[in-house]
Amino acid sequence: MHYDLLIIGTGLSGLMAAKAAVDLGKKILILGKGIGSLSLFSNSIDLLGPSQQGRTMEENLSLWIKNHPDHPYSKVGLKGIEDSLSSFLSLFPPPYSFKALGRRNSLIPTAAGTLRPTYLIPETMAEGVSFPNGKTLIVGIKGYKDFYPHYVADQMKCRGITISLTDFPNPGETANALARLMEKKSFRQEIASKIKEHFYGESRIGFPALLGLHNPMEVKDDLERLIGTKIFEIPTLPPSIPGMRIFYRFKEWLAHKGVPLLLGSSVKNGIIKGKRCVAIHISHPPLMTTYSADRYLLATGRFTGGGLWADRERISEPIFNLPVKQPETREEWFRSHFFDSLSHPIHQAGIMVNSSFQPIDEGGNLILENVWVAGTILAHHNWMDEKSREGIEIATGYMAARYALST
Amino acid sequence: MILDHDRLLKKNADRCIRCSTCMAVCPVARVTPKFPGPKQAGPGAERFRRSGDPSVDSWIDLCLGCHLCEMVCSSGVNISELNLMAKAKYLDEKGRPLRDWFLTHFYLFGRPGSLFSPLINLLSKNAPIKRLIEIILKIERKREFPSYESSTFIQWFKKRRSKGTKKVGYFFGCYTNTNEVDVGKATVQVLEANGFEVILPPQHCCGIPMLGNGDFKGARKMANYNVPSLLHSIRSGHDIIFSSTSCGYMIKYEYTHLLSVQGADQVAEHLYDIFEFLRNLNESKALNHQLKALNMKAAYFIPCHLKALQIGLPALEILRLIPGLRTEIIEADCCGMGGTYGFKKERYEISQEIGRDLVEEIDRLKPDLVLSDCEGCRVQIRHLTGLKVFHPIQVLRDALIKSR
Repeated sequence: MHYDLLIIGTGLSGLMAAKAAVDLGKKILILGKGIGSLSLFSNSIDLLGPSQQGRTMEENLSLWIKNHPDHPYSKVGLKGIEDSLSSFLSLFPPPYSFKALGRRNSLIPTAAGTLRPTYLIPETMAEGVSFPNGKTLIVGIKGYKDFYPHYVADQMKCRGITISLTDFPNPGETANALARLMEKKSFRQEIASKIKEHFYGESRIGFPALLGLHNPMEVKDDLERLIGTKIFEIPTLPPSIPGMRIFYRFKEWLAHKGVPLLLGSSVKNGIIKGKRCVAIHISHPPLMTTYSADRYLLATGRFTGGGLWADRERISEPIFNLPVKQPETREEWFRSHFFDSLSHPIHQAGIMVNSSFQPIDEGGNLILENVWVAGTILAHHNWMDEKSREGIEIATGYMAARYALST
Repeated sequence: MILDHDRLLKKNADRCIRCSTCMAVCPVARVTPKFPGPKQAGPGAERFRRSGDPSVDSWIDLCLGCHLCEMVCSSGVNISELNLMAKAKYLDEKGRPLRDWFLTHFYLFGRPGSLFSPLINLLSKNAPIKRLIEIILKIERKREFPSYESSTFIQWFKKRRSKGTKKVGYFFGCYTNTNEVDVGKATVQVLEANGFEVILPPQHCCGIPMLGNGDFKGARKMANYNVPSLLHSIRSGHDIIFSSTSCGYMIKYEYTHLLSVQGADQVAEHLYDIFEFLRNLNESKALNHQLKALNMKAAYFIPCHLKALQIGLPALEILRLIPGLRTEIIEADCCGMGGTYGFKKERYEISQEIGRDLVEEIDRLKPDLVLSDCEGCRVQIRHLTGLKVFHPIQVLRDALIKSR
């Protein structure tokens, strides 16, 4: 089988690369071990956290790009970021769509009761933005351990309750089980009647982000109608139901386009001839399968996704053995205090690329002519501190694929 | 080729970073709180399991064996294998119900089943008998028992002469032989239409019902018969085709992974899913494209074992060559049948509940017919919807224009 592009990694960056490539009419294969971090952290779309009050995201990004010439955003450029976000948004037509309020970051509540900056907010979280004045009720479900309503309520100075469900005494303790039950009318009726018992005319209700996997807006609208007040979702501990909504949407779209998405494929290594990758090996004992394509795009993430490996001394990239930008010695990986105001240097580790996302060494020399790199595996960013995770994944995935396919 | 690296990883629960990705996909944990989910049941509990200690995993038997958890695991933990090994230990210690023996030795009933098919089929539809079976064996009476056909696939095959320029072996599986003979016929007819003479290497049940019920010994017995027989055929220069994705996955991967059967790795190298084989033919421009239009809408359900085979969706790729045929994917993760799982009285509700997501999708698609490559999925979808459910190879056969 001939492929124009083979994408390694089925997280958000790999999926965005696939979207960009399919939109260009190319034949692609996307495969990977695991589904990246979508199922873990992604709820809304972060673009860039540290923003100055009063500035729009565009102004902030321009400043950021000016001050961080090596950052992945500087390679994508403002227009690239904008194009990639529109491409992402096109997959999410209403009712479950994402939006940026006033082209600025919004603050949304976390499960720890803090407010965090984020850019594109799903419709189900819109009502919770900035935790506006007026009375709010935070609701948790007994048995579900990944969301403590009182934790949020104490911080936010509002009321929190935990409801016990009698008609569903054992609803399961997992986000997955509850999100599925939320899609059932009878379950919503039970939730609504329990909430009403404790309801004192609050103007909105914060609910863990479990409002169904497939039709969250339908679930939200119905609950609002049943209770008679507005509802918003608050992200929980992993697994993330909103993240799975994103994953399933991409999966469905790719299937509709006839694109093969191979989950569970563990890429052992790339076969290199000179400066080109000619094939990759998938290990599935007892078999080793080989796939080849004209171009390859590496979007395997950092440590959580398995894109980077650390032994006792060094950090390495296992598939193409690309050089990894990293601190000189192990001692410099972490600062002495966990909550140091400066970030840990290990969080900047990653693959160095040129302006078109091709891997280079410290001297700036191109390593592989037909390999491109995208997503959080890239060097020169620290998404945790920057609050830039999804933005980097979407923008670099999209642009790296376009660069790859323009050659 | 097996890397020592991979072998070492097989039982290493410490690779789990507790990220919970598996918890986002487990079809069982999604519908019942009785199963703690893959993270806890697999690597979580594995850390406390020691070979000398008695097993305490009373819920481990609720794992359906769908493999979805390990397919989404970025850390490479073989969660469902850990579960299966724990299940085997639990059942070895606590003993297996007689019911499990009946369900896993389905292949033994094939011959008498088809010989006395009118009587057997009548009895197996009889409500008082089913109630009795439910009381004695704890096999759910709401399930339709598979009915037997009066002539087996082997009998049909032996009455004819397969002709072709190249030879290919076929592992048809027990269910095809006695209960869905037409799947076997269609496979043979499609292969012949593409110029292949089909041969049937001597074969027993692949052993997946035993393996799925934690009976490694019984499964290995089957594998020890099948591997030399298939190897003999392979050494004569034939590739082996399977039409059941469950039998296929079992032989291709579990024989080596879990049962360590000698020679199974060589069999794996020459074993192909029927549509994977046809897709390869298509890529080398050797596929028979003489297909007539079938104006209908088919909903295709992807079996878990097909996903685990990691070959993409070859059936869909080939079906899309048929003019007029519209195919839609049923967006549901698992049918909930789990082979013998759904027949067990105490699992029936779980099995039904998992299947409900699939039914909703089918209701939305309103197809003329439903397709799936796995007999377990077909049994479940028929049970849940009452619709006509076929193997995709039957549709491809129907589309073939017979050469004169």
